[in-house]
Amino acid sequence: MIKDITIGQYFPGTSPIHKLDPRMKIVLTFIYIIFIFLCRNFVAMGAMALLLLATVLMSKISPKLIWKSVKPIFLIVLITSALQLLYNSDGTVLFEWKRLHITTGGVYMAIFTTARIVVLVIASSMLTYTTSPTLLTDAIERLFSPLKVIKINVHSIAMMMTIALRFIPTLIDEVDKIMSAQKSRGADFETGSLIKRGKAMIPIFIPLFINSFRRAYELAFAMDCRCYQGGDGRTRLKVMKLAARDYASLGILVLFCVGIIVSNHYLTAVI
Amino acid sequence: MAILETQNLTYKYSVGTPFEKVAIEDISISVEKGDFIGIIGHTGSGKSTLVQHLNGLLKPTSGTILLDGNDIHSDKNFTRQARFKVGLCFQYPEYQLFENTVYEDIAFGPKNMKLSKEEIKERVLRAAEFVGVRNDMLQKSPFDLSGGEKRRVAIAGVMAMQPEILILDEPSAGLDPKGRKVISEMIEQYRKNTGSTVIVVSHSMEDVAESADKVLVMNKGKVEYFASVDEVFSNAEHLVEIGLNVPEITKVFLALKKQGYDVRTDIYSVNEAKAELLRLFKERGVLA
Repeated sequence: MIKDITIGQYFPGTSPIHKLDPRMKIVLTFIYIIFIFLCRNFVAMGAMALLLLATVLMSKISPKLIWKSVKPIFLIVLITSALQLLYNSDGTVLFEWKRLHITTGGVYMAIFTTARIVVLVIASSMLTYTTSPTLLTDAIERLFSPLKVIKINVHSIAMMMTIALRFIPTLIDEVDKIMSAQKSRGADFETGSLIKRGKAMIPIFIPLFINSFRRAYELAFAMDCRCYQGGDGRTRLKVMKLAARDYASLGILVLFCVGIIVSNHYLTAVI
Repeated sequence: MAILETQNLTYKYSVGTPFEKVAIEDISISVEKGDFIGIIGHTGSGKSTLVQHLNGLLKPTSGTILLDGNDIHSDKNFTRQARFKVGLCFQYPEYQLFENTVYEDIAFGPKNMKLSKEEIKERVLRAAEFVGVRNDMLQKSPFDLSGGEKRRVAIAGVMAMQPEILILDEPSAGLDPKGRKVISEMIEQYRKNTGSTVIVVSHSMEDVAESADKVLVMNKGKVEYFASVDEVFSNAEHLVEIGLNVPEITKVFLALKKQGYDVRTDIYSVNEAKAELLRLFKERGVLA
C-alpha cells in the first residue's frame, strides 16, 4: 500500500546516531558518499561497508526497515550487475557460450557495483531515518547560510522545504482516504488498460489538488496571524552546538577516508 | 440470517514497523436486515477502521466478514460487488467531490455499476430528492455549493448506488445544530422509504440515541457493548468513564443519583425524563 513508502521517513530514537548534530550528519553522509566513489578495491569497500554496518547497529534501526529502503532499487541493481557481467571482458574467461563471455573481471565488477549502490542507498536512508525532517531542513538552512552573500534567501527555501516535508504524510493520508472513498463508490484502480487506469486517477487528483490549495491558503493565513515575516531578525529556540561525539565521528570517518586513499595506492584496483 | 456478520475481526496498522498498532481486536457482531445501528466510541476507538472492513476496503489481519453468509474476501468479484451492496460514506465526504456538475458526481457510483443511462438518471434524481438537492442545483459545479450542500451531495452519491446497507461515518461532523438535524432526518427518511439497513458512526450518543435500534459502543478497539439503546444507557456511568458524551438529559439524572436521589440513569428522552421526575415528585410527596 501507499503507506509502505519509507524513503525520507523518520524513525524516532535515542541512539548516539540520532543524537548527532544534524549538520554534522549531513556533512558526514556527503563525505561518505564521495569516498564510496573513490573506493577502488574490495578492501576499501569492505571497510566502508563495515563502518556503515556499525552505524546501522548503533542506530538500532531494525534490519527490516533497511531492507525496505533497498527493495525499490533492486531492479536497478539487477540490471547494472547483469550489464557488467555481460560486457566486461577483463581477466580470465569463466564461462563461454557462443558470443557470450563471462570473465572474472565482469564478476568482480558486478559485485563491486552492486555493493556500491546498496551502500549508497543505505547510507542516505540512514540520514533520513535518524534525523527528523525539521532538524534536517534546519541544518540545511544553516549549512547554506553563507549563500546569503549572493542574495539567495536561504530561509525561505528552507521554510518551503520544511512545509513540503511536513505535508508529505498528510498528502499520503489524504490520497489514501480519497482512494478509499472513490473505491467505495465502485471506482476501479486495479484493472483495465493503461489509459483506463490513467483516467481512473482523475477522481483522486482533482479533490487532492483542491484540498491542497485550500490547505495552503489556510496555512498562509495561520502564518500571517502569527506575524510570520521571513527569517530577518528571527532568533532560534534551539541553537545547534557541536559536541564531542560530533568531532569524534568526523575523526573516525576522516581516518577511513585516509585509509581509502592509501589503499588505492598500494592495492590493485577493481574499477 | 444476518445480512452482515463479522467473526473475530482483528486489524493491525503498519505491521512490522515501530508504528505497529492494533486498531480493532476480536470484533464479532451481526447485523440483521432493516436494523438501524449506531456505532459510537471515542476518537481512535477503531470505529472508522471497523466500518472500512464492512465493505471490503480493508482486509482484516485475522477474522472474517460475512455478507449474506459469504466471505467478503472469498473472490475479487464478490469484493467489488460488496462495495455496491454496502454503501460507505466517509467522514467529510465533501472533500471527495470531483465532477463538473452535481449530477455527474452523484452519478459516479451508479456509472461504475454499469447501469443503463435511464436507470442512472432515475437513481440520481431519487437520491437528490432524498437529500433535498433541488433540480436547479444539479447542473451547478459541486465546488460552488455551500459546505452543508456539498455534504448532502456527497451523501447522495452513495445513496444513488441504492445499497442494501448504508454506512455513514460521522455524517454530521462539523455541521451546526440545524445542519445536524437536517442530516439525521434525511437518514431517517431514507431508511423509511427504502427499508434498507443503516449504520451510523458517531462519537456522540446524542446523534444516534433517538433513531438507532441498537448501539455498538467501542472502546480501545474492542466492543464494549452491543445492545439496544436502553440497555446501553443503563450503563450511563460507565459510558462517561470511557470518555463518551452522554446526552444532557442523562447527565442530569446521573447528577441527581450522585446527590442521593433514587432515580434511573438510563434516560435519554424528554418523555422518559418527565415520567421519571413525576414519579420522584410523587414519591417525595411534592405532588399529590
